[in-house]
Amino acid sequence: MGTFWEQTVVQPLRDLGQQAVASLSSLLGMVILILLGLGIGWLAKVVVARALRALHFDRVCERLGVGFELERLGVARSCSYLAGQFVQGVIVLIAMLAGLNAMRSQWTQNLVERFFLFLPHLLAALVILVVGALVSRFLGRSVLIAAVNKGVPAARLLAGGTRFFIMTLAAVAALDELGIGRTTIIVTFAILFGGLVTAVAIAFGLGARDLARDLLQSQFKPAKKAESDDPIHHL
Amino acid sequence: MAEEILSPPLQQQVAGLGTADIVVGIPSYNNARTIGHVVRAAHAGLIKHFADRRAVIVNSDGGSKDDTRQIVEQANVDSHELLLVSHPLNPIHRLTTPYHGVPGKGSAFRTIFRVAELVGAKACVVVDSDLRSITPDWFELLLWPILEREFDYVAPYYKRHKYDGTITNSIVYPLTRALYGRRVRQPIGGDFGLSGRLVQYLLTKDVWTTDVARYGIDIWMTTTAIAEGFKVCQAYLGAKIHDAKDPGADLSAMLVQVVGSVLDLMETHYDVWSKVTSSEAAPLFGFPFDVGLEPVPINLARMIGAFTQGCRDLRPIYEQILSAATLEELSQAAGLPADRFTIRDETWVTLIYEIALAHRRRAINREHLLKSLTPLYLGWVASFARQTEPENAAQVEERIEKLCLVYEQLKPSLTRHWAAEKR
Repeated sequence: MGTFWEQTVVQPLRDLGQQAVASLSSLLGMVILILLGLGIGWLAKVVVARALRALHFDRVCERLGVGFELERLGVARSCSYLAGQFVQGVIVLIAMLAGLNAMRSQWTQNLVERFFLFLPHLLAALVILVVGALVSRFLGRSVLIAAVNKGVPAARLLAGGTRFFIMTLAAVAALDELGIGRTTIIVTFAILFGGLVTAVAIAFGLGARDLARDLLQSQFKPAKKAESDDPIHHL
Repeated sequence: MAEEILSPPLQQQVAGLGTADIVVGIPSYNNARTIGHVVRAAHAGLIKHFADRRAVIVNSDGGSKDDTRQIVEQANVDSHELLLVSHPLNPIHRLTTPYHGVPGKGSAFRTIFRVAELVGAKACVVVDSDLRSITPDWFELLLWPILEREFDYVAPYYKRHKYDGTITNSIVYPLTRALYGRRVRQPIGGDFGLSGRLVQYLLTKDVWTTDVARYGIDIWMTTTAIAEGFKVCQAYLGAKIHDAKDPGADLSAMLVQVVGSVLDLMETHYDVWSKVTSSEAAPLFGFPFDVGLEPVPINLARMIGAFTQGCRDLRPIYEQILSAATLEELSQAAGLPADRFTIRDETWVTLIYEIALAHRRRAINREHLLKSLTPLYLGWVASFARQTEPENAAQVEERIEKLCLVYEQLKPSLTRHWAAEKR
């Protein structure tokens, strides 16, 4: 009777208790890790933001036009502050992953493993997007200024098209890096881009035949002395 | 030991010359049409006015594809044909050489200056090779103040059409004058006289492989001469008529090169210009005679159109570099009809100072900054041309004088903001 009681009631209860204690300790570990992450993250945010401010990081961002873009997007925070927040976010994320890992369940461990395998791709995609944004902004501005100085009426459209084209390229490259719908994206992009070029070519050929002829002539035929519509010696 | 910039054969040639009192330098690049005239004028000028001095004419060529160098070598300078009263006591030597270094006028000048240094020249004069209006007397005017009055730098003073030299009139002259306190009317004229002392000093400077040598050698020489305390004067040369200008010459590239050089120099000489509070005239030599100038047709509607489009399309860029008040003034000007189109002097000067500050703090890419100035500059030219349409040359000169005074009046604000940027 005693053995039966022991096997059917006491042992399962003991196992349950042990599991509960193990789970509780894992849970406690997770909570401690997350709390630690929050604390260290907050500290890192303050230190990074102050250090960057001292190193005139905000001024560098202003020069690169990042500050202006953020302002335009309605982000009323300095680049140093945002960088601090980014560092805080990364630390908290790592702490949360470590906390999940502390649960020691197959599911959480798989999740953490997958995340770390995915992380390099995520960072590469992020870098591609940031570089793409900077390049698109720089080239868009170059095109805008050059077009305005040449008196092109659709200067803003040209500049916007340049920015859009470069950002699309960057987005496609970033998604490809993440392995998201790789084939679909490339095929869609190729079709869209090919279609766009064909449409522009047809529109140019039909609508601006004279302009096309003049352009080709100016490239391949020795030009007559061009008449400047501005005969001033500026210097 | 400093790197020798002259090729060994040229060094030998120069050594063979011995010493000379005067070096005439003519930088060139594809100037076959005009350089013969310039060389003959130099030769005649030296014989007529400095027959007792030893002189060398140096053509420093940037690799011309036409016959520029052959024309220099073969230029007919027989003194009898030139009907001169004087005859040279010493032969005038001519050297023509390709220069080495970064492409541009700066490397050509460096070669000329080095030759001047090696022959121990007391004075050196450099003139453009595309001049049609140069006369033998120019050489007397550019050399005499150095040889006889101990000046170090002679800047040219030309009679120009009221719409000619608008970058000079609206930015370079008034800004240089307000900054450094010396009224040199043509700081980027292209034809200058320099003392041997100044030549040697300029050669020691570390700019010959930089963008200054490529694009801004004229303003660099003028600014350096003033800022470093050399004795500066001007020589009245009459009209300046170039060979037909390159129709492909891009205005925005010109602004980048010229205004960029002035703004770069502001950083170099902050300690000098921040202490200057007024300006004084640089002595003027020569007889200011009147000359007939060809009218310069001007397309006001096109310029106002460019300004209006710039104000509309480049606004996001201007918001990064100009103050709200200046932007507001520009917007108001853009809304005016062509017959009342005006940009106030105060607005223009504030705008230039704000561009200088934005350049200093690198608010945006510097080339973008200066290129985005083009529509605003065209607006200013249109406003200036409209306002001075009925005025003669003297009245226009008074108008420029007023603009210069505004530059001087508003300078304390520039100095204050510049100092704040520095911190």
